[in-house]
Amino acid sequence: MTTPPPRHYDDLLTQVLGGALDPDYRVTASRRGGAAPGRRTTVVVTLAAFGVLLGVSALQTERDRPAQLAERAQLVAEIHSRQGRLASLHTQLTSLQEGVAAQQVRLATEIDGERSLDSRLSELTTVAGATAVSGPGVKITVADAKGSGSGIGGVVRDSDLQLLANGLWEAGAEAVSIGGERLTSLSSIRFAGRAITVNYRSLTPPYVIEAVGDPDTLAARFLQTEAGGVWLSLKANYGIGFNVETASDLTLPAEPQSRLLYARMAGGR
Amino acid sequence: MVALVGLVVGVLAGIFLEPSVPDSLQPYLPIAVVAALDAVFGGLRAYLDGIFDDKVFVVSFVSNVLIAGLIVYLGDQLGVGGQLSTGVIVVLGIRIFSNVAAIRRHVFHA
Repeated sequence: MTTPPPRHYDDLLTQVLGGALDPDYRVTASRRGGAAPGRRTTVVVTLAAFGVLLGVSALQTERDRPAQLAERAQLVAEIHSRQGRLASLHTQLTSLQEGVAAQQVRLATEIDGERSLDSRLSELTTVAGATAVSGPGVKITVADAKGSGSGIGGVVRDSDLQLLANGLWEAGAEAVSIGGERLTSLSSIRFAGRAITVNYRSLTPPYVIEAVGDPDTLAARFLQTEAGGVWLSLKANYGIGFNVETASDLTLPAEPQSRLLYARMAGGR
Repeated sequence: MVALVGLVVGVLAGIFLEPSVPDSLQPYLPIAVVAALDAVFGGLRAYLDGIFDDKVFVVSFVSNVLIAGLIVYLGDQLGVGGQLSTGVIVVLGIRIFSNVAAIRRHVFHA
């Protein structure tokens, strides 16, 4: 029994670089002490096997090539078609974005138009008496002359109130009501029996007429109109109550049954 | 000379007889070829060094091919087949290079 010689281990890289030749060659050669006797058959068979390996793998690679080429060509074609699709999608995206921008501009103008229509609508409903309004103006209280039960001249007539209302419109009033009844373009002021009706509702004296308008000028301008003159003379000559005062905050109700039965907006929107 | 004839005969047989390789072994064929190439160059160098031994050559040839295939197979099972075959090819390539360098020194005496 001999102890085996101490073994020497190199690290991996040294092994790979230095031990390129199979160390067994040296070991067997030193054991034998010279070149081996030539047994060629095994070597030839081994080399033939190597040749077969080479030939088969070369053949295989060659055989696989057309398939690989076809696959590659197909992939390239697919890449091109996808790129084309991407480009067209980009174009579509751009045009859609332009469309969105245009629609946004349109929307903005629509909103503007709607807003101006809204403000015009509220203005018109105010003028037409369809909504309640409030604001400064004048408050005129008229009453029959005291002790005028017999005399015809001391009673307030429907035509007097019509004159008064027209005078207020003329003086620049924006909304007028008589006894809490809003005057519109369809309102009526009439005698029915012994009472005056406004919008077909009977009123009793004293009659309170409220008009919204410029509080500084409305009263003065009203008194300068023909109606103002007539009423001043009625007060002076017949003792009819006629009191004009400025009010800072009046609230006029809406005219409840203003409904157009026949008129339609021209142009039709 | 006879050895060279054996190699040529083997190549021709491989090409013209077209032995069918099982599908499961096909991925290991290139690695086996590289490993065999390493053994062949090693044998050639030993021959030129005057220490060639046919038994060692056959054993190194067969074991090289089998071990290379086995390593790559193991790598495939572990999911690192590509990296392992790259490693095997790098190591074998380095060995082939240094063996060929030694052969060149023998042939050209440089």
